[in-house]
Amino acid sequence: MSEKFVIPIGPQHPALKEPSHFEIFVDGEEVIKATLRLGYVHRGIEKGAEQRTWTQNLYLMERICGICSHVHAMAFVQGVEALAGVQAPPRARAIRQVVAELERLHSHLLWLGVAAHEAGFDALFMYSWRDRETVMDLLELLSGNRVNYSANLLGGVKFDVTPEQKVRILDGVSFLEERVRYYLSVVNSDETFLGRTRGVGILSREEAERLGAVGPTARASGVPRDVRVDVPYAAYSEFPIKMVLSQQGDLQARFVVRLEELFESIRVIREILNNLPESELTVRMPRRIPAGEVISRVEAPRGELFYFIVSNGSDRPERVKVRTPSLANWGTVLATAPGHKLADVPMLVAGIDPCFSCNDRMVVVKTAR
Amino acid sequence: MSQEAVQEDLLNRALEAIRSWVQVEKTPQPNRVDVVIRREDLLTVVETLKQIQWGYLSAITGMDHPAVELGQEGSAQEGYVEVLYHFCEKDKVLTLRVSVPYSDAVIPSICGILPSATLYERELSEMFGVQIEGTPDTNRLLLPDNWPEGVYPLRKAFTGLEEAKEGSNE
Repeated sequence: MSEKFVIPIGPQHPALKEPSHFEIFVDGEEVIKATLRLGYVHRGIEKGAEQRTWTQNLYLMERICGICSHVHAMAFVQGVEALAGVQAPPRARAIRQVVAELERLHSHLLWLGVAAHEAGFDALFMYSWRDRETVMDLLELLSGNRVNYSANLLGGVKFDVTPEQKVRILDGVSFLEERVRYYLSVVNSDETFLGRTRGVGILSREEAERLGAVGPTARASGVPRDVRVDVPYAAYSEFPIKMVLSQQGDLQARFVVRLEELFESIRVIREILNNLPESELTVRMPRRIPAGEVISRVEAPRGELFYFIVSNGSDRPERVKVRTPSLANWGTVLATAPGHKLADVPMLVAGIDPCFSCNDRMVVVKTAR
Repeated sequence: MSQEAVQEDLLNRALEAIRSWVQVEKTPQPNRVDVVIRREDLLTVVETLKQIQWGYLSAITGMDHPAVELGQEGSAQEGYVEVLYHFCEKDKVLTLRVSVPYSDAVIPSICGILPSATLYERELSEMFGVQIEGTPDTNRLLLPDNWPEGVYPLRKAFTGLEEAKEGSNE
């Protein structure tokens, strides 16, 4: 007759930098069940969107997440452009894609650091974050901002890529390519690290499909699911990327898939910058958007980001629904945790690269001061 | 071209399987089909999609449609919540639309068929006040502990907590 304990973790906890609350039911060291509570950084963005104009919302959507701000804005503008029957010019779409892939570079390197830290490998954490500065500098070079680059406009993009910037970006990504190759060898060869990742948190292909996993979490379990390939947006049909898959389904696979994806990002950034189409950067957009409903999907660093936008024909949206990849992936953590040691839980959580700001967004909380 | 034909087949395959439960069918975008179904058919339709292995549940969206005319006694048309189940397969999206009236805002849980729906159902329930019959976890997911009962922030009638509180106190 073993006794069951409930271990509450969070909302503030020593490992993750953002708040969430787990209740881990354990029998000795073994996890039996895990439950989840989110919402601690809820800002009411879906509700707020209904009270703002289309243009204002562009800036609001970009602030859903500080890591993948660009894809949020991109999903939103592409949806609104589709409603208005407008297509952004080719050069604008290519620049959107360059920024999106630079963002993936910074996001995956950020994650690599966090995940290494969870595994107790702080040297890797510090090195990867040092290298990440390279891509942050490139984003700042392009946009003037390290986060919330604000590249998108309804109907195009805000800035061009100058020849000097192109040279610096190509230099920067070549340096990162070397570093990523090194990190890939580290995660595949460091015995201590492999002890934390190999065979841990195995998610079979059937499970991943059943649980609706998206992004690198799904691809590390062999599920061929990548919006960039399935529904090419921006310039992904002119500059396609290859999907990176692994059949292993464990934490190690999630490291390998994310890192290998970066080679694809770097390759496509090079290709676009060397063949940047000539065109205007923006087209004219109406202030009122024709009534209708649109679904806009993009591949965020963490997986499919889903926007459902409804217009009632006015200058404000009727409804903006955002389903972020982290919400789709939580189910995989809750499902794989049972049977693991309690000490593996932080790594399992880090394995999906959860983003709490993204999950938490929907309510305007006007507190009584 | 042939790939186009295969893609075309994807939506048709789903539609053929669920045809008998479809009340209204619309194509809002070339890669999408929206079908209106009745609440009592929801589980059958989701089960059918699962059996033919069509797509994955990408999201559940709630949409609030407030009463059209707020008369003194009994409005002209009762307010309702529309629940949208978006299934994605490659570039295609099939959306099941189910409407439930305010007075009977209950919908069966699809978690028995697709366990991944649990977080989406909890979100829907908190934000729109739709009771999900048989959903495995009804604990609060997003709203704070001290959030008043019966206040649903994504309903159009909600404009702020203080007013909502006054409303619920009367």
